[in-house]
Amino acid sequence: MRYRNATAYRFLTPYLLIFAVFWIWPIISSFLISFQATRTVPWRFAPTFNWGRLIGDSAFFNALKNTLLILVIQVPVMISLAIVMAVLLNSPLLKARGLYRFAFFAPVVVGEVAYSAVFRLMFSLDFGIVNKLLNSVGLPKVDWFSNVTPAMALIMIAVTWRWAGYNAIIILAGLQSIPEDVYEAATLDRVSKVKQFFHITLPLLKPVIVFCAVLSIIGTMQLFTEPFLITERGGPGGGTETLGLLLYRQGFRSLNFGYASAIAYTMAGLAIAITLVQLWLTREPK
Amino acid sequence: MAAVTLTNVVKRFGSFEVVHGADIDIADGEFVVFVGPSGCGKSTLLRMIAGLEDISGGKIAIGGKVVNDVEPADRGIAMVFQSYALYPHMTVEQNLSFGLRMNGNPKADTERRVKRAAEILCIDELMQRRPKQLSGGQRQRVAIGRAIVREPQVFLFDEPLSNLDAELRVQMRVEISRLHKELGVTMVYVTHDQTEAMTLADRIVVLKGGNVEQIGAPLDLYDDPANRFVAGFIGSPKMNFITAKVVETSNSAATVELINHGGARLRKPLCKALPAVGAEVVLGVRPEHFFEVGEGDCDIPVKADVAEHLGSVSYVYANAGAEELIVEREAARQRASGDHFTVSIKAERALLFDKTGARIR
Repeated sequence: MRYRNATAYRFLTPYLLIFAVFWIWPIISSFLISFQATRTVPWRFAPTFNWGRLIGDSAFFNALKNTLLILVIQVPVMISLAIVMAVLLNSPLLKARGLYRFAFFAPVVVGEVAYSAVFRLMFSLDFGIVNKLLNSVGLPKVDWFSNVTPAMALIMIAVTWRWAGYNAIIILAGLQSIPEDVYEAATLDRVSKVKQFFHITLPLLKPVIVFCAVLSIIGTMQLFTEPFLITERGGPGGGTETLGLLLYRQGFRSLNFGYASAIAYTMAGLAIAITLVQLWLTREPK
Repeated sequence: MAAVTLTNVVKRFGSFEVVHGADIDIADGEFVVFVGPSGCGKSTLLRMIAGLEDISGGKIAIGGKVVNDVEPADRGIAMVFQSYALYPHMTVEQNLSFGLRMNGNPKADTERRVKRAAEILCIDELMQRRPKQLSGGQRQRVAIGRAIVREPQVFLFDEPLSNLDAELRVQMRVEISRLHKELGVTMVYVTHDQTEAMTLADRIVVLKGGNVEQIGAPLDLYDDPANRFVAGFIGSPKMNFITAKVVETSNSAATVELINHGGARLRKPLCKALPAVGAEVVLGVRPEHFFEVGEGDCDIPVKADVAEHLGSVSYVYANAGAEELIVEREAARQRASGDHFTVSIKAERALLFDKTGARIR
């Protein structure tokens, strides 16, 4: 270390210490814990205990299936919706743009408990506005909380409502960075607006869309609030239990920290793997 | 190929009028340059010809057909943008062929047009590269190539060289000039650089504040400017302006006294109405029109502040009375900073402007 850097490191020391104690150490510690049987006293080193259980645990695979299902359906729908919202927000024809931008972003800042409670009310079987609307157009009521498919759809609707606007704002920033004269050149080339969208806008937005997708994949892999609060701890009968919820149940309800750590590392590994595959698929050609 | 005619063209943004009734006739195959300082409306005029801006009044005709309400793509024009406006995610080949492909042009014809453009611009080697892998000059060539493949009647250039370095600008200038000769199509070129205008144009349109100040061949504008603005804008270094007062008029001539030069007087023959005695006027003298003592009709002593020696010529930035003058000297007669010397003005090479800037002929 050069002498001239020493002062800077001295200033950084308090932060680095806190970072090491509260970030680095828990990451290492939880990895080590995943190799221990933690439901015995004292804990004992059992390298295959938790990881072995993971492979044969139907609850884990149920949670994994639910999480991946949400990932595969909700993330593309939400990103597509966010792109449409961003394009609308970017339209010069739109009046009161600031108001729409605020409205789209507002769900992110609404408290999770509050929004979950409102969603429970809105989708309530007998009193919810959604079922009343379905009835009013001649469709039957849906029991959103007692059947797995509607419950899963509800989780996806809720997550989409909450995060589509947030992604739209990010995509809007990307849209606004595309130079106007590229579109003017295309207009002179007699390229229709629709073709401009598919052949210019979307390819140029790719890095931003990939960024949003990566954020959404990580978020979905950790999904906890909605299945915990809206469908009441992953109900009905574990039908909406996600990996995040299973981790919580194992770690903080059953106090099985070793297994919870193994689940946590699996979630992180999956998120990294999916993200890497996605980055590889959407890489820039050389 | 097509002629372009602008008749009383007006452009307003809200209530703010930026082009105040431009009348410009561009002949078939002509190279016309719109030149003027920033904000003069030259790019707006070009964009109105392209159809990228609606016109607020007047008429624009291309090839004899009024195109006020014609879509940009149907005007038979192609435009080269200042920022190149290349599609960053496409290769050079894709950039060139994009418009044709999107419009279902036959593949063989598209390939022929792309190949021809690549050959004209010597970019055959770059076809598989993307814009970010190209230098500024190469990008500009691709942008021009994209215009060529459209086989337009009129090429529009919006300050295409302003992002290039000085050397590349000269090179591209020559290439655009060559291209005009090769293709023989009408070209309208916007620049704020009067050197580009002088070297490229068949005719120059000088604009200021949304008004056409003068239209003419480069040397006509240089030798015979309509007003003080054109006189000052065309020519580098710019024309010197010396404050003067009319002290006598007689026999189709006015004698002016150079106020800041110790009462030096110059008798300027005029062919039109003479200015009033006592009127404030401005004498315009180009840097190369200062002569040695005794060679002209009026001598002015000056002191060299700074001398720039460019090889074949030197420019002396001189102080004379309260006025700064730029004097061009041959290299052999170069002066050093601090030198005192006298320059002479010939009445026939000096121009006279009234207080409003209008030329007194």
